[in-house]
Amino acid sequence: MLPFYRALLRLYPAAYRYEYGDEMMDVLSEVKGEIREKNAITRIFFATREAGGLLSGALQEHLRSVTGSYDNRIFSLRRLGMKSEYRFPKTTVGLMMVILAAVMFTIEKAKAISASVPHANPPVGPIQSAQATIVQTLLVTLIWAIVSGAIGWGILYALRRTGVQQLSEMNPAAGQRPSK
Amino acid sequence: MEVSEPVLLILLSLAEQPRHGYAILQDTERMSDGRVRLSTGTLYGALARLLDERWIERIKEQDSSRGKQAYRLTAAGRRNLQTEVARLKHLTRVAALRVARKET
Repeated sequence: MLPFYRALLRLYPAAYRYEYGDEMMDVLSEVKGEIREKNAITRIFFATREAGGLLSGALQEHLRSVTGSYDNRIFSLRRLGMKSEYRFPKTTVGLMMVILAAVMFTIEKAKAISASVPHANPPVGPIQSAQATIVQTLLVTLIWAIVSGAIGWGILYALRRTGVQQLSEMNPAAGQRPSK
Repeated sequence: MEVSEPVLLILLSLAEQPRHGYAILQDTERMSDGRVRLSTGTLYGALARLLDERWIERIKEQDSSRGKQAYRLTAAGRRNLQTEVARLKHLTRVAALRVARKET
């Protein structure tokens, strides 16, 4: 059974295999020794359970490597789907929302003030058109900045993940979790 | 972090002393009177998560010539376990009261 378990272990991400693979094989070997004397049905039950555990564990780890969270929720309330060393603080999200709200409020306030002030010289069509264009440009620029920032972050995050994975494969010590 | 029954048993196992993977499997089975028998994949999934959350840490097992890795609770892990045990105590107290009230 051990070669079968080893084959299932290959379904895990490489970094995880490096970190826990040998230990898991040791445990599987000890479990195998423990059930050696049991009857065939018990052995089949144990083997099925171990195989199921390895398959679901591999799936869980791949999901985690995609979402960065053990909760497997892309938008976790606790942290926004990143690895622990790159947590996205809730306060930052809150701050960004406050800034966005403040910008929107300022634009609306400016519009209201502009409408309430009597114009000595009634605006002519081209000036109103220019004001509207400025507001539209500001909004488009803001949306563009947010979207491009999100895309940029996504690319950097993906590159970092790939880089860490490759480094851990090249240099085994890089993938090791520090023990205290 | 959500503490499921297997995770709670793992934490309780490590609360007593540092243990390596197979010893944790045996201890969790013993504590649950054979009701919970973790698979190796489930155990290491939980251990990886607990390491990630800094509730436990890895150490080299002292009495092992092969330098086996063992796991032990961190101070934060012990605090969180105490909180979880207090929560369960409260829950069982409420449950006992409710059930007793229903029976009378």
